[in-house]
Amino acid sequence: MNLYEHTIIARQDTSPSEIKQLTEKYSKIVEKNEGEIVKTENWGLLNLSYLIKKNRKGSYIHFKIKGKGNVIDELEKNEAIDKKLLRYLTVRVKKFDLDANYFTKRDDDDKRESYKN
Amino acid sequence: MPKRQSGNKKGKQSNFAKLSIFQPNKYKFKKTCPLSAKGAPTVDYKNVRLLKKYMSENGKILPSRITNVSQKKQRELSLSIKRARNLALI
Repeated sequence: MNLYEHTIIARQDTSPSEIKQLTEKYSKIVEKNEGEIVKTENWGLLNLSYLIKKNRKGSYIHFKIKGKGNVIDELEKNEAIDKKLLRYLTVRVKKFDLDANYFTKRDDDDKRESYKN
Repeated sequence: MPKRQSGNKKGKQSNFAKLSIFQPNKYKFKKTCPLSAKGAPTVDYKNVRLLKKYMSENGKILPSRITNVSQKKQRELSLSIKRARNLALI
């Protein structure tokens, strides 16, 4: 069993309910292939740093998955043909860091930094 | 000889201070690797704020001879910067 971090970016015009559907859809695929979802994070609508298919923003969904390689194969196969998604990225990690939230805390960090300077 | 050496050192130090005249002098880089020290933050593609410190304004990766990042950490850095680029975070 391996540990994977999996991130997908949905188009900017997907509604919150559609995002929920997407998360459920891909969670089901993981469970079908005997994988286990340790955590899902919704990073919300973030500004893309460059245009992807004429989108300026994207909704980020982040999964932490425990399972075998065939889970990822199946996931990426389905994501590649999904028109609601812009990008996906899978990274194999040795250990999950479940405490670090880089995207919910970011405003505070920016403030702290400007205070320092 | 000693005179020459000190001259060399000065040249190097000015190298640390600024990459170009357009580079904001926001971050001063340490002489030792800032990522190998105790309590240093882990290099991760999600930690955009950390990665941005080691990139130029145009989004290029800064060479380790300027930032003094160790070889091992520089490899991790460049990999995670490329991952973050793919996700359009940087």
